[in-house]
Amino acid sequence: MSDFLASLTQVQQWISSLAARYTVFFPTPHGEANYRFTAIGADDDVRFAPYRPTITPPVKLLVPAREELFRFQHKEDGDLLLSPSVDSSFRVIAGVRPCDLKGIFLMDLFFERGVADPYYLARRENTAIIGYACTTPCTDRVFCAAVDSLDHRQGADLFLTPLASGEILVEANTERGIGLLDSTDLPPCEDGPARKIGAIAARPETYGRSFDADVQSLSGIVEQYWDSPLWDKHTERCFSCGTCNLVCPTCYCFDVRDNLALDTVSGSRTRTWDGCMLPGFAQVAGGHNFRPQPAGRQRHRVKRKFEYLPTKYGHGPVCVGCGRCGRQCTVDIDIYDIVHDLIEGGKS
Amino acid sequence: MNQGQTDYAALAAATYLPATAKIVEIREMTARERYYRLELPQPLGHRPGQFAMVSVLGVGEAPISISCGPRDDNQLEMVIRNVGRLTRVIHGLKEGDTLGIRGPYGSGFDLDHFYGKDVVFIAGGLGLVPLRSLIIPVMAEPSRFGAVTLVSGCRNPAEELFREDLKQWSQVPGATVIRLVDATENMPWKFDVGLVIDPLPKLPLDPVKTVVAMCGPPVMYKFVLMTLQAKNLGPEQIFVDLERRMKCGVGKCGHCQMNHLYCCQDGPVFQLSRIGALKEALR
Ligand SMILES: Cc1cc2nc3c(=O)[nH]c(=O)nc-3n(C[C@H](O)[C@H](O)[C@H](O)COP(=O)(O)OP(=O)(O)OC[C@H]3O[C@@H](n4cnc5c(N)ncnc54)[C@H](O)[C@@H]3O)c2cc1C
Ligand code: SF4
Ligand code: SF4
Ligand code: FES
Repeated sequence: MSDFLASLTQVQQWISSLAARYTVFFPTPHGEANYRFTAIGADDDVRFAPYRPTITPPVKLLVPAREELFRFQHKEDGDLLLSPSVDSSFRVIAGVRPCDLKGIFLMDLFFERGVADPYYLARRENTAIIGYACTTPCTDRVFCAAVDSLDHRQGADLFLTPLASGEILVEANTERGIGLLDSTDLPPCEDGPARKIGAIAARPETYGRSFDADVQSLSGIVEQYWDSPLWDKHTERCFSCGTCNLVCPTCYCFDVRDNLALDTVSGSRTRTWDGCMLPGFAQVAGGHNFRPQPAGRQRHRVKRKFEYLPTKYGHGPVCVGCGRCGRQCTVDIDIYDIVHDLIEGGKS
Repeated sequence: MNQGQTDYAALAAATYLPATAKIVEIREMTARERYYRLELPQPLGHRPGQFAMVSVLGVGEAPISISCGPRDDNQLEMVIRNVGRLTRVIHGLKEGDTLGIRGPYGSGFDLDHFYGKDVVFIAGGLGLVPLRSLIIPVMAEPSRFGAVTLVSGCRNPAEELFREDLKQWSQVPGATVIRLVDATENMPWKFDVGLVIDPLPKLPLDPVKTVVAMCGPPVMYKFVLMTLQAKNLGPEQIFVDLERRMKCGVGKCGHCQMNHLYCCQDGPVFQLSRIGALKEALR
């Protein structure tokens, strides 16, 4: 739509200033090595410091760990009151990296298509996103370039690209994005596209971990494996703790639970994160479990990300290569290693 | 800075809020199963083989098959087995109490696949409950179908469901009803003893004009399908009704996924040709 130029200081101050008007989430250091998307105050020191993926991805702000679907109340006259709990409060998520932006883009598809999900869509519609380009791999775990998410831009209202000059290219992609800039007085940038190409060219040639297969071929490769010792190999140490699901920007499975208030006549129905790696995920009443073994659950997780959902939605892998699952798994099970082995195995 | 055009609260109400149904009749069927007739504010307009999400607010929600044939009024029939938290609470309810209902969900059976054909129903245990929603319209107009055979099996005589219906269907012209128990367990029983697959090899099935609809526990499918294949029935002639864990009914929660399909939306009724090659479907 339109491009502007800013200094890093200008951009950082502008993001703080947005926090005076709106709820703004920004990746903020917690302890030595961890970042979290945290609601910032207008006086906070916003800095695009050396980054590593936040513990949970920003998309989880749109699908919270526990979310109320509706409240109910039985009235004394016998009437029942039901009220849906849709959250349409406005918020800004700033500093969203390309992989996480792709995660949000994919989540948009999952919740829009088929039976539309009002809770997600209401939050999403009222969430402005400010993306931020990566110039060097943020950790040695990432493989964003290998799954086509490093250059993902769709879904951001504004997208910031740090340039070699030290300046920031500010791309406004939506009216809402332009609106967020109204307090600034940034000069327009005429040669935005060329500068973007320059910034991409200045990146390291091998960006993060790569696969010896191109991205279009991944789903076909993964499809070839069903009964394979590789699933066992990559779950031997697995605790079935589900952490890999909970930290993933494209995991959205949920459980539904009821809560009854102490008055016993009112309460709510909520949905909470669930994970396909947890042992009871596919168990039905009567005790039959359709995926009783961890290896079968791992196969499902990998196939869902690389085969099932890519086929269903047609937007490539549903793993954005952020490396969170591998980094946060206690026993170092990394989806990159699994897919890498599947690719290698297919060659012999 | 809202952009809103869509009324998401209304959409949420339409998607996740249950309608209130009144329990107008409860019948004890077996030690574990009860029959419920419900009255809804509006007709649900279901197809055979569909299900609804049934809930008690404050306790939980579960998928339950609709057991009656398609109907224009606002009545609904279900059979609920007491197995856990929610179903135990439902079994404690009385006539006049209410249940939450949302739906109907799922693909269901398409009667067009059955008109003019010899129809075979194979029901194991609780499988008779959803199949009944298809059996009723078939038995109501036998002239629109060829020979109709129902094979219904359960563990012992005390567990048999819908005895009155089974008796009535056995008197429908052109219909054969085979009732089996795994074992009589010393109870009186005047029908057959054996597994549901036992009578199948002897059934005279015309491979050209037979269509099969089946529902039962996971172990049943493999053996029944082997027998049907041996009789030269093709996968497009067989419809299976499957069970999975389900938490939403609308293709989002992920629990019911089998390979790339979602049992709650793509199923729970599947034409075998659609899922025969899927590793996770029939296991
Ligand atoms: C499409 C579809 C159609 C269905 N149709 C029907 C139907 O028509 N009728 C029907 O009855 N069911 C039907 N079901 C199954 C039904 O959904 C489940 O029985 C129901 O979800 C059980 O819910 P619950 O809360 O009572 O059980 P849960 O509390 O979720 O219990 C599930 C399991 O846990 C075990 N369990 C529960 N409590 C305890 C405990 N305290 N100690 C030890 N173990 C325990 C039970 O053995 C049970 O097997 C259908 C399912 C599907 C997917
Ligand atoms: S985080 Fe690691 S141990 Fe936990 S379920 Fe995932 S792979 Fe298994
Ligand atoms: S599967 Fe792992 S690497 Fe891929 S998007 Fe999820 S958390 Fe990131
Ligand atoms: S029941 Fe939730 S996806 Fe099918």
